Amino acid sequence: MTARALGAGSVLVWDAGKGRPLLFLHGYDTHPGEAGFLTRLAQNRRVIAPEHPGYGESSAAGPLHDIVDQVLHCRLMVEQWVGGPVDVMGHCLGGMIAAEFAALCPHLTRRLVLVDSYGLWLDDMPLPDPFVIRPADLLAAKFADPAAAAKVPAPVMGNHAAATRFLWPIPERGLSRRLPFVQAPTLVLHGAQDGLIPVAYAEALAGGIAGARCSVLSGAGHFPMIEAEDAFVAAVEGFLDAG
Amino acid sequence: MKFHWFAEASYPDLPADFREAKISSWVDTPKRLADPHVVGEMCRMFIRLMQQADRDGYDGLAVNEHHQTPFAVTPSPNLLAAALAHTTERAAILIIGDSLALYNPPTRVAEEMAWIDCLSQGRVIAGFVFGTPMDSVFAYGIPPVELRERFEEARLLILKSWAEQEPFAFNGRFNKLRYVNLWPKPIQPKFPIWVPGSGSVETWDLTIDNDYCYGHLSFSGLHAAKPMVDAYWEYVARRGGDPNPHRMAFTQILCVANTDAEAEATYSEAVKYFYRNRYVNPAFEGPPGYRSTKSVQAIMGHRKIAESSVSAEDRAKAAAGELDFWEYDRLGYIIAGSPERVRQRVRELCVDLRIGQLIACLHVGNLSEEAGAMNTRLFGHEVMPHLRDLWIEHEDRWTPQGLAEIAAKAARGAAA
Repeated sequence: MTARALGAGSVLVWDAGKGRPLLFLHGYDTHPGEAGFLTRLAQNRRVIAPEHPGYGESSAAGPLHDIVDQVLHCRLMVEQWVGGPVDVMGHCLGGMIAAEFAALCPHLTRRLVLVDSYGLWLDDMPLPDPFVIRPADLLAAKFADPAAAAKVPAPVMGNHAAATRFLWPIPERGLSRRLPFVQAPTLVLHGAQDGLIPVAYAEALAGGIAGARCSVLSGAGHFPMIEAEDAFVAAVEGFLDAG
Repeated sequence: MKFHWFAEASYPDLPADFREAKISSWVDTPKRLADPHVVGEMCRMFIRLMQQADRDGYDGLAVNEHHQTPFAVTPSPNLLAAALAHTTERAAILIIGDSLALYNPPTRVAEEMAWIDCLSQGRVIAGFVFGTPMDSVFAYGIPPVELRERFEEARLLILKSWAEQEPFAFNGRFNKLRYVNLWPKPIQPKFPIWVPGSGSVETWDLTIDNDYCYGHLSFSGLHAAKPMVDAYWEYVARRGGDPNPHRMAFTQILCVANTDAEAEATYSEAVKYFYRNRYVNPAFEGPPGYRSTKSVQAIMGHRKIAESSVSAEDRAKAAAGELDFWEYDRLGYIIAGSPERVRQRVRELCVDLRIGQLIACLHVGNLSEEAGAMNTRLFGHEVMPHLRDLWIEHEDRWTPQGLAEIAAKAARGAAA
């Protein structure tokens, strides 16, 4: 991870590999660091995994008021660090941002992968509140096998505060209205046992994007890239390299 | 030294096993436990007790705002303030306060306080609060990281709407108003403003920068409060702020009776009811982003000092309503006993913490109206007059300036 200047601030970023660039946007807890799935993906492409504003050691999110500001922040990274279209993959909160990015910046989005993503709200299937859920229930909601929790870094203070900008009190900022504007070929990946975001949400996301495909990974909860790493990497590479 | 009558309007009829059931008393407390007729009678009782406090010589009648909780069924303090403004004559109407971030647009606060000021002939104290996390970020859904900015924008808008004599446009981040033009305008040219807090350094800066009265409103007792209040005064000194004791308000539960034995017999169960039934799901008390890292660290420091004077066991028992009545008194959660005893203890408290505005909690939990009336009368007649000499050398700029005149007018009216 290295600190890199961007605009008036600084972003911590894991940037590795060579080839067609993939922008990875992390979930609400924390940046995954040099995780296995990222290093494997970086063997065949350049992976750019920035930390979100307000997280960890990156600059505060203060000037970024809403989801459009957040998307423009991503656009700046892509324009300055790549200078052309990228593949975009987002997990959880990062999936919500990735989908918005694809809708608002189609000229910079080659292919889109959404993993256990927030962004929608289904009235007949309300999501659990990730900020209030009891620790034991949270563990069960996140992982098919609770032992997998040890493989995910713990969030540092301030991360969840930054996440509340988009997830509080309902993790929805109008994405459903903008999904039809997504032009990039899209793969929606979801852990079968995700208790934070049920599979129905993945189906709804895929249903909102023309031509999107939804694939459910068994043996995984909210972190399929950790709990089902092989299947996850294969699915992502298969999709990205198909076009 | 000023005394303000206050009570948390606690729902008095929770089931005996409420605490054991581990039901959160805030945010998602089951509504099936609420009887609207009980709430109605409770509200009428509080209005009667505060009318009595007005006659008994209290300087202010304090009303507050909480949401979705049987701990305090007062969703809009302005409603209760309006009822009191119309049916009392002397005391300040201490609105402590309106949760600025929750009013949309916040000119609603400016309008209602101005209206109550007109109705009460200029007796309003304007309190601005952030609201507890339970109220502001859970019940009303404000993202915690936005709370302070929303508060600040609302505060500036409200102050300008009181001060400006011509219509103006306000282009804020959260509020866009093309024509702000308050009707009615308040009687007081400048409201006294109070801001309560729970130890956040940012709130201390706000009160020092603007010469507001700071309120430490907690029910955790003298020992928990002392490190925080001491730190506040040190901070004021360091920042070159005004150390006038009248800019510090403090809540204290009081249980006055003719004898110490009568105090225990009268108030013990109500005090235990109050503490026992204030269990809040910890997740609702500490949402991410509600406090800055700087404040979290400072508060942890104060807490550590406080914890050295009260054992963890005593704290847990106090919060569960399981301490002996006189243990609550010894640890400073309450001040109880005969008027002589209470006089002495309140004096010590106010001197020790440098408090010029005591928010006297004279009804608590499921106390009967009769006991609340006795408490109000004894404190008002047997305690307050003996403490009026405190801080007399300091000018009180944080209560309405016309109060003495209003009281004299009311007295003349009564005599005629």
